[in-house]
Amino acid sequence: MSERLIVIGGGGAGTAAATIAKRVNPDLRVTLFTEFPDIAYSPCGIPFVHGREIPKFEDLFLSTVERYVEDGLDMRMETTVTEIDLDRGTVTARNTHEGFDKLILCTGFVWEKPNVPGANLEGLHYVKDIRAAMEFDKLLDGMKRVVVHGATPLGVEMAGNLGHRGLQVEFVDEGPWVLSEVLDPDVAEPVHESLEKRGVTLRLGTKVNEFLGDGTRLRAVSTTAGDLECDAVIVCLHKLSNTALAESIGLEIGSTGGVVVDDHMRTSKPDVWAAGDVIEVPHGLSMLPIRALTGSHAYAQGRTAAFNAAGRDHVYDPVWVPWGLVAGDYTIGGFSIGETLATAMGIPYVLAKGVGVSRARYFPGATRTHVKLLAEPDTLRVIGGQIHGGEGVKERADFLAFAAKRGATLEDLAWMENIYSPPIGALFEPVAIAAQNGLAELRTRQPATV
Amino acid sequence: MSSAAHMKRRLRERSEHYLMQAAMRDVGKDAPSTVKAYRDRDGLLWRLLFVPVYRRLPWALKQRAMRSLRMTASGWRAPERRPREPWRPPPL
Repeated sequence: MSERLIVIGGGGAGTAAATIAKRVNPDLRVTLFTEFPDIAYSPCGIPFVHGREIPKFEDLFLSTVERYVEDGLDMRMETTVTEIDLDRGTVTARNTHEGFDKLILCTGFVWEKPNVPGANLEGLHYVKDIRAAMEFDKLLDGMKRVVVHGATPLGVEMAGNLGHRGLQVEFVDEGPWVLSEVLDPDVAEPVHESLEKRGVTLRLGTKVNEFLGDGTRLRAVSTTAGDLECDAVIVCLHKLSNTALAESIGLEIGSTGGVVVDDHMRTSKPDVWAAGDVIEVPHGLSMLPIRALTGSHAYAQGRTAAFNAAGRDHVYDPVWVPWGLVAGDYTIGGFSIGETLATAMGIPYVLAKGVGVSRARYFPGATRTHVKLLAEPDTLRVIGGQIHGGEGVKERADFLAFAAKRGATLEDLAWMENIYSPPIGALFEPVAIAAQNGLAELRTRQPATV
Repeated sequence: MSSAAHMKRRLRERSEHYLMQAAMRDVGKDAPSTVKAYRDRDGLLWRLLFVPVYRRLPWALKQRAMRSLRMTASGWRAPERRPREPWRPPPL
């Protein structure tokens, strides 16, 4: 009898784990359990359907349950696993026990809920499940004013998109600028301008004290900046690892609240792997665990768990976290750390800043690209950076994260090769300009030793 | 979750929160379009004691402390970031 692998969770990590495990080892019997009726859609696209940049929710689906079944997977939709017994090697779902030889936990995340009175009122919405989003979208047609609570990446996307839809948006966050846990203030400035152009009112440095209701229905949000009347609140606080099942079987939980795994995605129990938002992985620079990364991280972790559960040997590297998003009409991105995080952690750095253009400056559609790099003061190895502008932000963040992981220095980047083709790239690459400026600045600070 | 794991998690949450608050205040000083972050009245010890002491320690010492408190990941090996020749300012 061939071995049986059970995957719990149907998000990016879970679907990757199930499909790749079956592909790597076709003899493996693979069963995927998910509590939801849908699979293989992009939840990250939901804000853009609300904003009507994407016409309909159906466009977010990438595959079907039938397709996975054709690929040989045993798909258990709308089936919640309520218990795992590691000694007997069984999971319990719908009061039925099912045996397994290997287990991959991909139970994802739950949203942090506001810890203030009124948080259970009707009218507080969390963005996660596509069916709930479809229903909420119909309600949005009858709404005029919404509050977006939390200037996280999702909050910025929701605020920008709901502004684009024509709603009055109050964007509330305790931080001094949007995305303040990630972004530096110089990069936040154009984001603020872009959101305000979309009709978003920024309420920064503002604490939510209470959700006020008429009976069970939300009416307003009481904040330190006064009461904000609204038809709905979109809660966009932090993602928390959904570790209930993991804790029930005694898996080690780390300092971020995520499941501890090694570089093979192995948990602290034999024959149990985990991947995606439920786990924590180390940052490549500090080796401190972090979690709640991007969908592409979840997918790659799911693949890694699958390879190893299916009998191969694959190592997942510590992460350098390239990230990016469209905020209003403006694109921002970065990798690893910025100035704010480096300052908080006490990591010494030197700065290299530059501005270039995304195409030849005479070519229609060229936009300015701002690059800021952080490097170690002694070796000048790049350790972080932030980029903002129009096109090409994502590709530069991806490239720089990889270059940093491999130990590239400002000197390397100052002399990097780049494509010059007027419609797609200028003669002078913005990354190289930033590195050259940084080296020039350093030359002025210390005398030449040669 | 064990009480040690809970303590470790709490330590990380609180230290990150107050270090980030202090960093935002410093980095955001005079930056246009930013405001003062909302600040609770609690956390006096963190703000007045922990943050200044942490900031005075060199990064290498902080890293060692985090490793000895087992705050860093174990079971992982970062790919070698190969250092080249130590950087020297190019000749003028």
